[in-house]
Amino acid sequence: MKMLAVTAGLCLVFVFVWERVDMVRLGYQVERLKHEKVVLERERDELKVKFSALSSPDRIAKVATEKFGMSLPQPGQVVMVQSKTKDSPASVVELRIARNDVLSGRR
Amino acid sequence: MAGSPSRARRYVLLLVMLCGFAVVLFRLVNLQVLQAAELTAKADRQHQKTVSLEGARGTIVDRHGKVLAMNMEVPSVFGIPTALESPAKTARSLSPVLRVRTDELEKKLRQDRSFVWLARKLDPEQGHRLEHMPMEGIGLVMEGRRFYPKGPLLAHVMGFAGMDGEGLEGIERRYEPQLHGEKRVVILQRDAMGRTVFPKGQAEQVPAAGHSLVITIDEVIQYIAEKELEEAVTKARAKSGTVIVLDPQTGAVLALAISPRFDPNAVSSLTADRWRNRALTDTYEPGSTMKALVAAAALEEKVMKPGTMLYGENGRMMIANTVIHDHEKLGWMTFAQVIQKSSNIGAAKTGMALGDQRLYRYLQSFGFGQKTEIDLPGEVGGLVKHPREWGRRSLASISMGQEIGVTPIQMVSAVAALANGGVLMKPYVVSEVRDAQGKPLRQILPQVKRRVVSPETARTVTSILEGVVTDGTGAKAAIPGFRVAGKTGTAQKIDPRTGAYSSTLFVGSFVGFVPADNPRLAMIVVIDEPQGESWGGTVAAPVFRRVGEQVLNYLGVSSDEPVKLALVSNR
Repeated sequence: MKMLAVTAGLCLVFVFVWERVDMVRLGYQVERLKHEKVVLERERDELKVKFSALSSPDRIAKVATEKFGMSLPQPGQVVMVQSKTKDSPASVVELRIARNDVLSGRR
Repeated sequence: MAGSPSRARRYVLLLVMLCGFAVVLFRLVNLQVLQAAELTAKADRQHQKTVSLEGARGTIVDRHGKVLAMNMEVPSVFGIPTALESPAKTARSLSPVLRVRTDELEKKLRQDRSFVWLARKLDPEQGHRLEHMPMEGIGLVMEGRRFYPKGPLLAHVMGFAGMDGEGLEGIERRYEPQLHGEKRVVILQRDAMGRTVFPKGQAEQVPAAGHSLVITIDEVIQYIAEKELEEAVTKARAKSGTVIVLDPQTGAVLALAISPRFDPNAVSSLTADRWRNRALTDTYEPGSTMKALVAAAALEEKVMKPGTMLYGENGRMMIANTVIHDHEKLGWMTFAQVIQKSSNIGAAKTGMALGDQRLYRYLQSFGFGQKTEIDLPGEVGGLVKHPREWGRRSLASISMGQEIGVTPIQMVSAVAALANGGVLMKPYVVSEVRDAQGKPLRQILPQVKRRVVSPETARTVTSILEGVVTDGTGAKAAIPGFRVAGKTGTAQKIDPRTGAYSSTLFVGSFVGFVPADNPRLAMIVVIDEPQGESWGGTVAAPVFRRVGEQVLNYLGVSSDEPVKLALVSNR
């Protein structure tokens, strides 16, 4: 009976000590993961800023004109096509065409 | 018998032991009771670390969610001069990374101090390079830095935040209470090696980030406005320029461009003159653009009709011992032609027909002489004198846009009221405030200030202003396929040396809206001190056309004219 009580007591002490040690270990782990999270968040923010800078209209226009030789459509080249329906006799259809391309036919 | 020597030794030994225990007991009482508070505090200082944390500043995005300003954690570098062996060597190795002169760094590192800032809020790339360097006596601390990824785009509206993260100009300043993150001091536990442990409850200690703002401006429309304005200002060799694009139905600002531009990422070398938002802070005499509003007042008060005949006095009329000129000799003309030909004499006669009290009332009603209350800092109310302060010529002068100071935002708001059927809207820039998780907290809705003129009057003025573009001074504002309504203005500036109107310094402007029958855009273009040709119809109207046609195309607004297409098969 005494042996049992001593064993149980030792177990309790062991559990208590183990719990304390594990708490410290988990504390360090949580800290490490928090640090990792901060680093990843920092990387995410850096990428967001880069993406925003690269998608700036200023830069896109520069690349389009200087690298790909594109230019703004001239007046009359872009027309909005209107459809005539029962409900809306002149509603705008979301369709744009370059008039020069259509007229020339690109045969 | 004096006891045995062994007993005496035992007593001595006991005494020594008792003394020893007494010393230990005294020390124990001293530590545990007498010095308890002081030592506990000392232990806490060693085990605990007090850190001042600030939540990230809120993000600013355009109406389509494109990021215009955001915070990022970047390294700041400090030195511990007392812990350095060779300040010269450290300065030499840090100099190229920090982009600070070696002698400057060395001077800092030779100070008799335990902490000195070497460089704050570096670029992320600099931080990456520093991570791979030996850093004895040098430390890094992460701080939030404001980034404006679009560079100069929208800089005058965005403003900028200072080194300590507080908004100093523009939206950053106006919305400082919403944008700034929560500041909080937190206590962390640390072990013997200085590592932070036991972060129990720390999640609740993290300070909240600032709120995010959604603005009404569209970055593409803004880009178009800035590009065209820059070109026009450069071409005219002008001092500065302003373009504002409004949604006339709501008062939402779609673009606000100022030239010259600046980069909010690098403001330290600039003066306030460069980042001043001239659209709100600078007044100018509007010149003939004012005639559109005087015409609206005259039509509303029924002192004029579009067909009312007025005599142009052959381009010369005497008022209060001064002569008013027109740019050409004009005879009889209709009231509509007075506006279309921009006759000063016709406008003066219209003003006189209205009378000073009624004209003043309409000026106030259109919002002149008072702030528009746009949600940006630094706005001025302009200059509108009370009729009791008017001179004998004032009625005529104000009717043709002199003796009155307005801001571009006032003028475009007034003309937007004509575009939307006669209602003055409050212009605004921020449409929504969101929390850090993106959840909407507050929506800012369009706000009606007052009705200024009736829908009939607004329609009549619109028709007259269309004539300005089709048959008058604003021909260069015409956009093929669209009905444009607008008014040109060319105002002489006061020569600061003489105090009189200059014959060389002008402000050329154009204000209008498009499409005239269902306006989607109200726009003002102001070019300050253009060299050479300085007529509003020459320097400002073409900017209106170029911005207008690109923006209408971008918004997918269909042309007023039916287009006949010849579809050709590829086969």
